[in-house]
Amino acid sequence: MDLTLLPQALVSGVLASGLYALVAVGLALAIGVIGIVNFAHGEFFMVGAFLAYQLFVSFGFDPLLSILFVAPVLFVIGAAIYSSTIRFVLKAPELNQMLLTFGIGIVLQNLALMVWGGDPRSIGGVPYRAMGIQLGGVSVGLVPLGSFVVSVLLVGALYWVLARTPLGRAMRAVAQNRVGAGLVGLEVNRVYLVAFGLSALLAGIGGVMIAVIQSPTPTVGLAYTLKAFAIVVLAGLGNIRGIVSAAIVVALAESLVATLVPNGDALRNAVFFALILGTLVYRSWRRP
Amino acid sequence: MRRRGLWLDLLAAAVFVGLLAGLPAALRAAYGQASVSYLALGIRAVGLAVLALSWDLVARTGQLSLAHAAFYGAGAYAAAVLLKLTGAPLWLGVPLAGAVAAVLALGLGAATLRLYGIYFAIATLAFAEVLKTVVKSLPFAVAGGSVGTNLPPLFRPVFVAGEMERWEVAFLRNRGYFLVYLGLLALAVLVSVLVQRSRLRYAFTAVRTNEAVAGVMGVDPARTKLVAFVISSVIVGMLGAIEAHRFGSVNPDATFSVHTTVLALVTPIFGGLYTTVGPILAALVLSGVEETLKRTLADGYLVAYGVVLVVSVLFMPRGLVGLLRGLVRRERARRAAAAPRAEALGGRDA
Repeated sequence: MDLTLLPQALVSGVLASGLYALVAVGLALAIGVIGIVNFAHGEFFMVGAFLAYQLFVSFGFDPLLSILFVAPVLFVIGAAIYSSTIRFVLKAPELNQMLLTFGIGIVLQNLALMVWGGDPRSIGGVPYRAMGIQLGGVSVGLVPLGSFVVSVLLVGALYWVLARTPLGRAMRAVAQNRVGAGLVGLEVNRVYLVAFGLSALLAGIGGVMIAVIQSPTPTVGLAYTLKAFAIVVLAGLGNIRGIVSAAIVVALAESLVATLVPNGDALRNAVFFALILGTLVYRSWRRP
Repeated sequence: MRRRGLWLDLLAAAVFVGLLAGLPAALRAAYGQASVSYLALGIRAVGLAVLALSWDLVARTGQLSLAHAAFYGAGAYAAAVLLKLTGAPLWLGVPLAGAVAAVLALGLGAATLRLYGIYFAIATLAFAEVLKTVVKSLPFAVAGGSVGTNLPPLFRPVFVAGEMERWEVAFLRNRGYFLVYLGLLALAVLVSVLVQRSRLRYAFTAVRTNEAVAGVMGVDPARTKLVAFVISSVIVGMLGAIEAHRFGSVNPDATFSVHTTVLALVTPIFGGLYTTVGPILAALVLSGVEETLKRTLADGYLVAYGVVLVVSVLFMPRGLVGLLRGLVRRERARRAAAAPRAEALGGRDA
């Protein structure tokens, strides 16, 4: 174990946590506000990635610029999916909701496979992709740093919306009591629609960033769905505030093991899920 | 207890399995060489039915398991490693696979079955992902690392020149596998029927509906859930081993693929949960639909498959079985409404 790498691992872990938090917070919004277990969440992420890729290839859009286009498009996609399908299963059993969102995920993934094929794609041509800053022996890539900053801003903005704005108050009210919120005059369905659109939007922006950081294929979605679920569960269902700390914990654990343990990169996923499994088992055995 | 129901169900199951057992011969007589690929489709459908029915057994206790890929993969690897390291007889891997899966299910279940809903689901999913990595990092000589390892086929029909045609070798091999899969399905159906027609059914339903009440009525929720979980995993483990023999190899990413878990839960929901017929019917229908879409659409047939799932949730929330029951009920209501009127008019009873 080489401890000189420790600061580097810590920094990479914190930077990676931003993206995790961004994707997971969108899912937490869908689960917490609407109560829908959305297994297609990662596919919004994937669609965001490939839209940004296409904008870059066709028009030379910088990924930062394409966020401005991807965000509204994903919001509309999310809203359309909500009002055409999800709206009708709000009171159905959880399993039916899951089957529905699995179906939506399969459709989105395979549409993307038809359009872009199965090869990894990335936005490799941006000039700052290889740039970075050196800070006392720790190198910080400009892209991970940028994605971290964007994620922090977006998650912060969401928290601000939830805490301070009428829309946020409406969302919290609907999450607490669907019927009561309707009785005091909130248009529950519209709040759900906006929440689901926002959820897709946040995932989509996360996707734009992964297209710069890595080289995703159209099948990348499921992995992020599962990871987002794991983070949401680690934070506790309905606990949107806990997402950030949960994301930091898993990202740090991943990064520490990947850097410090020999051959640790192969263990990345295992660490992530072992942590979740451990937490859940602990939680189930802890005396209430 | 409902003795008569039990015997009727067993009879129906025996007839169903018996009819399927005659399928290879019928296909061969009807289609000749093409029967080889029809039989391959049949194998996939029966395999899917086994997977779906075993998942439904767990679902009946209200638990949403995402660990089926883990038991499937563990079974496959148990058989592969056994045959690689020892000179054990070819078929010993299959029961061993069931045993290994049962031990894993016992451990995982004991640790996590007090979780409920999505927490349990994520815990089982995490277990599957961890197990995949553990298998990947086993010594290369044991499990072949991330490349995997090979298994011998269960059936090796020999080509006899002059007495048979070339394709008949493939036919005999597929027939062999089809019958083994069918045997496993028969076992799964037997278990499912016995559960449905015994006190276990009430225990399962009570635990699913309300654990606290079930406890008050003298049903131990943890034990009931564990029973379902272990039975289910044995069946899936054996399926994994047989399938590994058929594919000829195991490999961590493919053998532990989440896809197995997804199929295991999509199929029973599509067919109708908490029934024996639903998952089987759905497996047959979905395999047929998938194959037809694949042949007619080629590229992107999975898009249409996804649309089928979405539409089915929206328009038949209780699955195929619920749809059929609804039709039967409506027909009865129509007849009941029509009968008195027919009498009043002096007409004949329809």
